[in-house]
Order: sequence, then C-alpha cells, then structure tokens
Amino acid sequence: MDGVELEILWSNLVGIVTERAKALQRIAFSPIVREAGDLACALFDARGRMVAQANTGTPGHINSLAFAGAHLVRIFDGKLEPGDVMICNDPWLGAGHFFDITVLTPIYDGNRILAYIGSTIHHTDIGGYGIGAGARDVHEEGLWIPPLKLYERDRPNEVLHQIIRNNVRTPDAVFGDLSAQVSSGRAASERLIALCRRHGLADIEGLSDEIINRSEEATRAAIRQLKSGTYHGESSFDVPGGEVITLKSAVTVDAEKGEILVDFAGSSPQTTTGINVVLNYTHAYSTFAIRSCLNPHLPNNTGSLAPIKVSAPEGSIINCKYPAPVNARHVVGMYVPMPILKALYQVMPDRVLAEGSGAVWTIQIQGTDRDGRPFTSSMFNYSGGMGARATKPGPSATCYPTGVAAVPIEILEAAMPIVFDRKELRRGSGGAGRSPGGEGQTIQFHLRTSHPWLLNAVPSRLDRGPDGIGGGCPGAAGRFEINGKPVSEARKLTVQPDDIVLLETPGGGGYGTPPDNIAINGRN
Amino acid sequence: MKYSLAVDIGGTFTDIVLKSADGALSVDKTLTTTDDLIRGFFDGVQSVLRRAGITASEVDGVVVHATTVVTNALIERKGEATALLTTEGFRDVLLIRNEHRYEMYDPQIEFPDPLVPPELTFGIAERTLSDGTVLKAVARADIEAVARRLRAEGVRSVAICFLNSFANPTNERMAAEMLAELLPDIFITASSDVAPQIREFQRASTATVNAYAMPISQPYLGRLRKRLADEGFANTPLIMLSSGGVVGAETAGRHPVRMIESGPAAGALAACHYAEKLGIDRLMSFDMGGTTAKACLIENGEPLITGLFEVDRRYRFTEGSGLPVTVPSIDMIEIGAGGGSIAHVDDLGLLKVGPESAGSSPGPACYGRGVDKPTVTDADLVLGLLDAANFLGGDMKLDLAAAKKAIDGLAVKLGVTPVQAARGIYRIVTETMASAARTHATDRGIDYRGMPLFAFGGAGPVHACEVAMLLQSSFVIVPPQSSVLSAFGTLVTPIRLDLVRSSLSRLAAIDWDRAGRVLDELADEAYAALEEAGCPRGNVTLIFGADLRYLGQQHEVSVTLDADPRIQRDSAAIAKTFEQAYRVLYGVNPSHVPIELVTWRLTARGPVTPFDRELAPGGTPGKPKRWRTVDAWSDGASVPVYDRKSLAVDQTISGPAIIEERETTTVLPPDWTATIDRFGCIIARKGS
Repeated sequence: MDGVELEILWSNLVGIVTERAKALQRIAFSPIVREAGDLACALFDARGRMVAQANTGTPGHINSLAFAGAHLVRIFDGKLEPGDVMICNDPWLGAGHFFDITVLTPIYDGNRILAYIGSTIHHTDIGGYGIGAGARDVHEEGLWIPPLKLYERDRPNEVLHQIIRNNVRTPDAVFGDLSAQVSSGRAASERLIALCRRHGLADIEGLSDEIINRSEEATRAAIRQLKSGTYHGESSFDVPGGEVITLKSAVTVDAEKGEILVDFAGSSPQTTTGINVVLNYTHAYSTFAIRSCLNPHLPNNTGSLAPIKVSAPEGSIINCKYPAPVNARHVVGMYVPMPILKALYQVMPDRVLAEGSGAVWTIQIQGTDRDGRPFTSSMFNYSGGMGARATKPGPSATCYPTGVAAVPIEILEAAMPIVFDRKELRRGSGGAGRSPGGEGQTIQFHLRTSHPWLLNAVPSRLDRGPDGIGGGCPGAAGRFEINGKPVSEARKLTVQPDDIVLLETPGGGGYGTPPDNIAINGRN
Repeated sequence: MKYSLAVDIGGTFTDIVLKSADGALSVDKTLTTTDDLIRGFFDGVQSVLRRAGITASEVDGVVVHATTVVTNALIERKGEATALLTTEGFRDVLLIRNEHRYEMYDPQIEFPDPLVPPELTFGIAERTLSDGTVLKAVARADIEAVARRLRAEGVRSVAICFLNSFANPTNERMAAEMLAELLPDIFITASSDVAPQIREFQRASTATVNAYAMPISQPYLGRLRKRLADEGFANTPLIMLSSGGVVGAETAGRHPVRMIESGPAAGALAACHYAEKLGIDRLMSFDMGGTTAKACLIENGEPLITGLFEVDRRYRFTEGSGLPVTVPSIDMIEIGAGGGSIAHVDDLGLLKVGPESAGSSPGPACYGRGVDKPTVTDADLVLGLLDAANFLGGDMKLDLAAAKKAIDGLAVKLGVTPVQAARGIYRIVTETMASAARTHATDRGIDYRGMPLFAFGGAGPVHACEVAMLLQSSFVIVPPQSSVLSAFGTLVTPIRLDLVRSSLSRLAAIDWDRAGRVLDELADEAYAALEEAGCPRGNVTLIFGADLRYLGQQHEVSVTLDADPRIQRDSAAIAKTFEQAYRVLYGVNPSHVPIELVTWRLTARGPVTPFDRELAPGGTPGKPKRWRTVDAWSDGASVPVYDRKSLAVDQTISGPAIIEERETTTVLPPDWTATIDRFGCIIARKGS
C-alpha cells in the first residue's frame, strides 16, 4: 500500500471514531463525559487489535480500551451473531473502576465480522458506594457487569437490563448513555462499510497490518534514538487520610530492540481505601507518559503501544488484586507518569516536564437547601500547577496528566446553594527554576443552608509538594482546611452550615536551576 | 434607489461591489491596505465609481461594510492598555480559564496571553448571587480608587465582569456609570451588556475582547462615517456582523466583538441567497482560499449559528488555544487546507497535506519565488487542472517547471510517479476537507450526506466536485461573482440583529412575568438598533428562540419558537419544540428528565432586499477555447477548456471538462455534467 492510499484510509478510520467520540460527548448525561471528555472510542480489527482511536478522551480511558476490546473479542470468539452488542465494566479488564462501562459492537458485513467498534464512558452512577474512596472492598463499590451481551440479535438482553435498572440510582441517565454507546456503534458500522465499498476492500486486515506495523516500527525507531540503560525515578505523595504512597519506576531503554520496559518494583503495596489501581490503568498512564515525550503526534493503536511494556508487582498499589477497592483509582493513577518523567529526564531532558500537582482534586456535595429540598451535586474538580518544561513555564491551574475541565462557578452556584468566596491563582506556589512551575489556586466556598451537609473532597499532596527537576525547586504543597483548621480524612465529612472550606491546590515543580535573583520557595 | 455599495475588507483583499437599480454589478478587487484600512476602502470605491461613471452622491442606497479590523487588532495585539474589573477574589479568571489542556498528548502546549495583564485586573468588593439577589453593592470609594489607578496607568478601555451579572446586571451597571462619570474619555464594556450569558470565564473573555477592540474600532468607524459624508454618499454605513446581522455603525461600534467574522458571515449569506433562488433549503457552503478552507452548513435556508467560537488560535491552529467569544456567529469550520498548503512525507511514509501553508507570500512553488516545497496549487497545475498562462486571467504567470520540480522531489520520497504524487495531493486535500466537514456536521447532529455544495474562493471550485463525492453528494453550485462573494452577500441581506440573554429556569416553572421583562428588553434594544439602521419599527419582524437542555446536562440545544413567547406563555409548546429538535440531533429523548431553559434568543430583521436579476435564456453555446492534457483521472487525457464568460444560459457541458474564469477554475470530473442557470450559476451534477 503506498503512502497516498494508506494516508487516505487511515485518516478515514481515525475520522470515523473521532466523529463518534464527539457525538457521544455531546449527547452524554454523565457530566464528566460532557465537560471533561472522559470517554474513549476505538476501532478494532477482526483479530481484536486496536487500529484507530479518537483524537479525544482522557489517557486513562483511551489506553485501557485497547485492552478491554481485545479481552472481549477473545472471550466472545465464535459466540457472536449480527445485532449482538457486548458490555463489561470489570475493573481488571477495563479502565479500573465500575463507573467505566465498555460497550463493544461487532461490525458485520453480511455474516462476516469486518471489525469491532468500542467505547468506554464514565457513567453517572453504578450503584454501591457512589463517588469516593470509602468502600472496604470492590463489592461495596457497585454493580459488577462481567463480559455479557447487552443486545442479542438486536434484541435487548432483558435480564441484564433489569438488573442494571434496579442497581443504579440514575437509571434514565445510565440507559441514556448506554443507548448512545449502542447507536454510536451502529453509525460507525455504516461509515466503515461505506468506506470499504468505496475503496474496494473486502476486509480491513491488510490495512490494519500496515497501520499497526508502521506505527510499531516508528515507535521503535524513535526509541532507537535514545541511549540504552535503566533509568530510575521515584515519586512520593500523600493521599486523603495522610497515607504516603511511593511509586518507583525503573525505565529500561533497549535501543537495539527499540523497546522500553517500565517496572514498578518497590512501589507501595495496595491499601484499604479505594485508591488502588489495576494494571490496565497503570499501563495506560505509563504509555501516556512515554509517548507524550517520545512521539506525541503518532496516532494511538496496538502498534504504537506495543514496544512499551509495563510491569508491576502483583498486590502493589498499581497492580492491585481482587477484592481491593478501586473506585477512586485516579487519585494514585494520575501520579503514575511522575516517576517515569523523572527517569526519562535522564535520557531525553528537553522533552519531559517536572512533577506537577498530580491528581485533580475532586469534590462532591450533598445536603439540604434552606427550603428543605435535598440535593446531590455532580462531581467537580480543581487542578493545581503543571510542572515546568525545559524552555517554558508550567501552565498555572491546568490539569495534568488527565484532561478534565473545571465546571464554571456560575453553573455550580445555579445548581446548588454554594457560594464561592474566592478562586484565584496561588501566587508563589509554583517552584522556582530556569523555567518556573505553574501556580496552584486558592478556592474558598461556603453553603447557604441551615442544615449540616456532606463534603466528599479528595485532595492529595497536602504534605509534600511536587519535586522540581534538574535543579528546579519544588512546588508548594496543597492545603485543605475547614474554618482554618487542616483536614486530612479519606471519607465524607459532615460540615456545619456556617463552615468555610478552603482548598489550596499544589504548585508545579520548577525546571533547571533558578536564576540567582529568584528567591527559593517561590518567585519574587 | 439608483445605486448601493458593498465593501468587504478581508485579510488579503478588499472587495467592492456596486449594484445599480436594475441589478447590474460592477466589482473591484484590490490588495488590503493593512496600515490604513480606510485608505484601501476609498481607493477601491473610487475606482469602481469611476468605471461606472457615477459620483458618490448618486449612491443613494445602502453602503454595507464587512471588515477584518477587529480580527487584525486581536491578532496583532497592538491595542491600547485595557483593564478588567472582576468580583473580588476572582481576579485571575482569564488566566485560570477552564483549567483544561486542549491537547492531551503534547506536553509543550501553550495558552494565549490574556488581552488584559494581571496588573490591570482589579477585584471589586461586590457580589450578586445566582438568583440575582445583590448580596453586596458596589461602593463608590472602591471605584474611585480603581479610577485613579486606571488614569495613572493610561488605560483607555475597561471591561467589567462580575459574578452572576447575567442574572442581575445592577452591580455592573452601577460600576460602569461611576467609572463613566469619573473617567469620561474611557471606553467601558459591561459583560452583562455584551454577553449576558452564564459561565464567567467565557463572559469575561468576551467582554475583554470587546473592550480591547473598542479604542481601535470606534475611531475606525468614526473616520469611515465622516469620509463617506464628506464624499457625498447619501447614507451612513451599515456594518455586517458575525451572526449575519447588519446594523448601523453606532450599534456596531458599541459591540465590536460582534464584527469578528463579518466577512465569512457575508459569504454564507450569499450562499443562502442562491439557495433560496434555486429552491434548495439545505446546502454546505465551501470557500477554499490560499491558506484555509471555510465551510458552513445551511439548513432551512439559514446558516447554522453558534454561540461560542474562538479567535486567534495560538498553537498549531488547535481548538482550545484561542480566546473564547460568546456572541452569536455563523458556525464556520475553518480547515487548514488551501491552495498554499504544503505537502510532505512524514516519518511513517505517509503523504500529508497542510496545515503548514506557503500562503500567498511566498506562495506555492509555481509562484516562482524560489520556494521548492510542493503545494496543492502546484499539484493542480501539474495535473493540468490549472493553466499556467491563465492564472488571474493571465495577470500572474505560473512557473510549471518549478511546480514539477517540487512534485518530483515528493514523488521520489513516496516511491511513486510524479503524476501519482500530484493526484495524491489532490485526493488527500479533498479527503481532509470532507473529513472536517463530516466531523463538524456530526458534532451538530446534521446528516451531511447528499447535501449540495456551494463552492467559491480561488481554490473552491477546483476541488468541489471531489469533496462532494466524498460527502455522498452529487450536486455542486458555483455562483457567479465568486471572487467577491462576501461583498455581494452583504447586499442581499436584510438589516438584522441577533441578541441573547441567559435566564436560567426550569421550563415547567417559568416565571412568565420575568421572562416577559427580559424579552421586552431584548426587543427594545433590537428595535432601537434597527431604527438607527433605517428600518422603522413597523417593518421589523421578531423571531424568538431559546437554548434548552435536560436538567443536569451542560450543552444546550437552540430552537426557534413559532410564536412570541411573551404572548403565548406556553411552556408545553416550547418543551415540544425542544424535544423534537433534541430527537433530530440525538435520536432519543430521555423520559422523566425535567427541561431547563438557559438562554433566550431574539432575532430582529427588516424586509429582505429583492435581487432578481436573471439572465436571458438561449444565446450561442460557448465552445471549448482549447483542449488540455489533464492527468487528474487518467494519464494524458485531453480535456476541453471553456471560458465561463462564453457559456450561454441552459448550455450543458459534460465532464471531464474545465471551466475557467479570471479568479477561479471549475473542475468537472468524468461522470459530471454542468449547466448554466438563469442566475449565472454553474450547476454541476453527477450522473446524467
């Protein structure tokens, strides 16, 4: 296949999944999907290899879907018929917690499977504990949907539908989003078949070989430019409840084979709160960290991910075992890139960034307004500063490594009796450096209510700020206070009507030795 | 009325169209005088008047103007010191944005610098709650203190954006009045006036864009009015807005942020005009120039309107890297694919076209300015689709040898023949445009399949039939006057203003008295603006609309309402309209979820200006002026080349064929047939 034909076909495949992802994001009920694009959409060949992925989504989802799709194709091999749709939210097979439901649809051309189209989206509710890290094991966290058929020959699997309907708090929203995933699969099927007809393709296997092989070769070629060796990075951070987690990564570059192995031996063991991470999710954020430095503009597919291998000791916090609770796995998962970036600094210093604030701080509020009406907010989130780059400062109050957006203050104030007193940059919180780290922010709010209310806040890095790199200074640690008193609590808090909540998100680490005239511990 | 005049100042060219009472058009195209746009305006106008043999005083109809003046100001960033007043505690609203990284994988991304620096942002101790209750009023002493600072810093323009001002503008207005009294020479923009919509960052961004543009656009419009009067033109100018609105210079001058996309909007309106003439209610306008292509969807004879767009995208033209603006605007997709787009082979051995562009200067290799990178225009030339001796009617000779050399180099890298490489560029640039159009349409819930394409711009008609086929369409329209189409569009557009105001409420529990007051205010504002533009109240039609969503959703669906909601007061009817629109977009309606009204919309428009010039049927059918070797579809095919001017109404041409005019070339692939209709359009259809 020449470079013209392949470009046309490849960009069409990416176009198909990107269109679907955009449509899903627009229609979704799940606020985190709409506002934050917390979804993934991908096309798999008949062998279950991911061949194209939408140019949107968050790293945790997009790279986990490659595995989830492959698992489902393997599990249902020989058991599918036209009109079937598969579903699964097994944390260990997918994106690491029950909220993320993967739907995979075989695309039939006549009686033959041409490809599969899949999506993972973060649903509004999955029963059980709800949002947060407080469940004692995975069973308390909600409804576990093993690999099953959601539709059989175009007919809904009624048993499964009823089980889901009775086990989630917002069945209309969950089924609205599920039907969006299903109809999205159908639309993609039509587009793919039309593309194959237009180009006279009987199947896409030859095309996917080209795409996957060229992507794999390009990734290996990029790795071959690096210096062989094993590079170490380590990152420690505190999580709600005060526990300190350490992630250690040994990044081995094999320039001869063009491979990178990331090994997390020596990292903290799994814990009792729901911040444990399954290996899929660890893998997703590891490949994200490496690919964003190595070759960020190469499309994601089985080939471009293949030369990067990830291992972690079983039972560690980044390869947790059943029945560990995993609900808030992003709290640790979003730190996975940090030790890897530190290791990569030793081999490609110009392309990495210093440690940033890490996981976004998530908040949910439940209470009763002055008229006695109960309310439960959606989850909303705030970011700290990003780490500095070699030649550019770290962006302030910007989410990294994930890509969620903050909900506007006016939208939150219109939805519940919350009043914000302050939301400004926390000046001086970014670490000094040749390039300074991004600033965190200061957020203060209270509720207009006469009843006590529940606050489910998940801050991290309250004790230790993000490290600088190459002589750069650390960013400031975060602060979480109620009425001026520090709080460190992993579970929901009961808050009094007049209480004032203060959040100060961490600043990002600096890059390189700061110029002489800049004071350590912040900028002049 | 004897004559009307339209002037469209774009980034590269200034286009003039003079229309006489019988519908005859005189046109002119000159280079935009970037250092002083008004000079180019009048140079062009004088040239047209001279050729038409008339004086300024004979232009007794409208003078309509579309201009890039605001866009230039935002991109060049040479404006005067501008300040922002926010609610105390929220000074960094422009720096914090929405905290989102618009490009997930690239750690080197950049965000635009705000138009107002942190040292000119001031927090004011005041507060309004989301229900409109004023918790804390503005204290005069605070504003006096800020005024002293503003004077000391030499600030010329101020934006005010307080929290929840969309729900109650009292505090913003109070601050604006105090400031105006203290600093009478300063320009003031209240966010509740320019963009009364929920979401503080977008509103603050819109207000600062407006404030930044004021000190530039006000003198510009003032000079324009004065000079038009001095030269003897009968009427004050009308200004084209991004929404497709046309208003008087005074109304436009208060809200320059509404003028950003005025030229492209006028192009889309020209497409609507021809759609109506041709009896088509949906099409896609497709304008391909040197650097980018622009497309706009037209449904039910109206262009799609968006409430949010970005200006000045800073990083690789990526969505998210610009300044958000929330005023109604024609919903335009801009694609980084034009005649100057550069082709290269990437690390994977794939042929890529754009988004890097050689632009118009230095331009493609065939411009002969020593550039050796192959572009889309070079491929078109090598394939024989363009004539080296007939570019811009022969005023600009193209260097075929240079184009061939550039394409040869690319072919070697690809391991294909030069013709295959050129065809590859041609195909890939069309795929890029089709793909962007598909994603854009899908994102808006529109079925693009089979939509007619309305092609203009220098490179549009060259690629339109191929783009159409990729969108499963077999219908392309190439209008006459396509090189000055935006200027033409301003002349066939009624006077019009589009306004919005957020007013959050559950639809079922709407307070109709409050809603009535909001809508009355909007209507009064619109009546006053249209009156200034010469359209009396009795001639104004009001069209109401609303943005609604299911409770808990963040994106709204805009609907047009059949009746005046102030009179009808019928939530159920609005709910029905919304549910139907939602179903069309997304296929399903969720049951049991309450509906929320977020924003009211109002369009006020005057009567449509008739433009009914038709060509007489018959005449002598034009013959090919020559035959040319075209390699686009098969090697060495001999293809007839027609001169568009020579073609008679109702004449039919079978593809493959080339139809040339001064500023563009229409390419008719095999299996396509073209006829000339009575409006002078080339109507190309696939199949017989």
